[in-house]
Amino acid sequence: MSGVVAGVDIGSTTAKCVILGEGSRVLGKSLNPVGVDIVKDAEHALEAAVQDAHLSRSDVAFVTGTGYGRYKVYFGQLVVTEISCHARGANFLFPGTRLVVDIGGQDTKAIRINERGEVVDFAMNDKCAAGTGRFLDVCANALGCDVGEIGPLSLQARHAVKVTSTCTVFAESEVTSYVSRGKDPKDILAGLHASIASRTLSLMQRVGVEPEITFTGGVSQNEGMVHALGRRLGVPVNVSPLSQYLGALGAALHGWERLPGGAA
Amino acid sequence: MPETGGSSETPGGAAPTFLHDARSLQRKLVEEYYRDLEANERPRRPVAYMLVGGNLAEILRSFGFEVVFPEIVALNCAIKHQSLDNILHAESLGYGLDVCGYVKNDLGLQDLGGKTSFGRIPRPDVLVCSFSGCYVYVKWWEALAESYGAPLFMFDVPYMREEVPRKEDIDYLVGQLWELVHFLEQRTGQAFDMDLLKRVLIESRRAEDGWVEFLRAGRLRPSPIEAYFESIFYMFPINVLRGTPEAADFYDVVNTEIRARVRDQTYPLPEEKFRLLVEGVPPYTNYRAFWDFFRKWGAVSVVATYPKVGGLFDRGFRHDPARPFESIAEYSLGAYVNQSWPLRRKIIADYVKEYQADAALIHGIKSCRSFTAGQGDLRDWLIHDQGVPTLYIESDHEDPRYFAPAQIKNRMDAFFESLEQRRAVAIAGGRTPA
Repeated sequence: MSGVVAGVDIGSTTAKCVILGEGSRVLGKSLNPVGVDIVKDAEHALEAAVQDAHLSRSDVAFVTGTGYGRYKVYFGQLVVTEISCHARGANFLFPGTRLVVDIGGQDTKAIRINERGEVVDFAMNDKCAAGTGRFLDVCANALGCDVGEIGPLSLQARHAVKVTSTCTVFAESEVTSYVSRGKDPKDILAGLHASIASRTLSLMQRVGVEPEITFTGGVSQNEGMVHALGRRLGVPVNVSPLSQYLGALGAALHGWERLPGGAA
Repeated sequence: MPETGGSSETPGGAAPTFLHDARSLQRKLVEEYYRDLEANERPRRPVAYMLVGGNLAEILRSFGFEVVFPEIVALNCAIKHQSLDNILHAESLGYGLDVCGYVKNDLGLQDLGGKTSFGRIPRPDVLVCSFSGCYVYVKWWEALAESYGAPLFMFDVPYMREEVPRKEDIDYLVGQLWELVHFLEQRTGQAFDMDLLKRVLIESRRAEDGWVEFLRAGRLRPSPIEAYFESIFYMFPINVLRGTPEAADFYDVVNTEIRARVRDQTYPLPEEKFRLLVEGVPPYTNYRAFWDFFRKWGAVSVVATYPKVGGLFDRGFRHDPARPFESIAEYSLGAYVNQSWPLRRKIIADYVKEYQADAALIHGIKSCRSFTAGQGDLRDWLIHDQGVPTLYIESDHEDPRYFAPAQIKNRMDAFFESLEQRRAVAIAGGRTPA
């Protein structure tokens, strides 16, 4: 199978891999937490995705690395930033996309793209984890919730509180303060989601808000966040079960173009 | 090793073989300057502290002062990885996180005894605050005056909103310059010597001519100079030694070397893939790493605004021995940071055209709102009004805690990837690539 490519996305918290076959069909994928040995995590991500595709390692003709750990994908032939990869991945899944919002573990990015999925402009959060997945992890922990349940819980809120802190550490203190005042955790969670949506909207406005908007990254799997963002924007955002894999998918698509006979 | 977005890991290839006469001489001048400051005894020459932008060095030099620029001491500390200790010490004295890194480096260093790896910085006999464009500097100099008990002369420079300075502004500054002369006569017991000042200004003018010849070499394609990183090395004589024959002679050596590069086709990179305009103060604490981010993508800065903080000589200004005080006044008014944003934008737009820049990179610094505030709008204006792809990144010039290599590299890689994509599409479409 010479027409098989892989994209390996090593993010700050998870490693993702997508295997693409003929016709840009997704044959397999994997998602694992990132530890201290990034090289091993990258290898493990590829092995797991190859297994998921019922293939062997030697079937993969080309590997592209992306994400913060992209330079640790030593077995790859190409390195592309996740900004270009999310752009390409979003364009592939939702061709009408003009703005990509990627909220990952430690980064939030707003990426303006053209009709070919090329980056026109981008903006990223400052050197601070406020408004990212880590922010939600910390606050979920302060509320004694599992991070997987905070989105649905936030949707049951009746009177969302106002979270004003922009710092992850101070927001945690603010959450604790609301808990001690007897506020319903659902209302606190809704406030936290709304706070991230506001910060994200400000980032999006720096590059220009233009539909369609596609939401990617790990936080895009949080339905509370999808709701908060759509509400703040006034238009629904595109999401897909593959949203968390869009960096890896975009990387694989970049690799596909490098194959002899690959789509340009 | 995998490829990076269409570029090999080191597209710049091996470092070019420059003559390095200029760089060696620059290092020698820096070493001698700090050595002379430390060895300033028997007879001891008086020491004046002054700020770089719009400074009055020629007048101080005509009185025989050694001129110390704490900003330059601070950036020397930063590039030698010594600034953080000074900054932390200043913070322990109560200076907050948001205070300018230059200020904290200087106050921390002085409180620790003034010792650096490149020499001991002497105490000031007078403080001359020529604060073109930065009002934090007023408080800095007041703190120094209180700390040392040294007399302080405050030189008030109006902010520039028009390209040509107004006569009343020049008259206002000339009046203050005569006050400064009187102040220095009182402190030194010496009479002011106008002929000596004119001789100093002749040397300043000669250095300014040489500096401008060097900067304008960036107009050539490919550029024989690195107009941001390399210029920063060569700023020292024009900023610190201006008015001395050594500074003027230095630029003769530099320009001889640049002419040799053009003749031998020896360029900063073997392939000049992107011609950049760079705006903003560099992250001195990670100078080499930051430069490598450019080199990796075959990007050469052909023009930059930061090397002009000591004076916009390339825009035509020269110190004039025939109009000594008036030209010094015009110089102080014309400091880059003292210009309003419409004036700064015009300079930048002219640079993009004159130097045929493909793209712009703005480096904002947390420390300095005077330089940085408005750079976000500048980015938008360059992209939307001028059609110049522009990247804005932020760290600090003095405080290494603000430099996040992975984040900065990620932004720069993505920016250059997008420039490569645009170029490929333009070529495929039969258009002239940017």
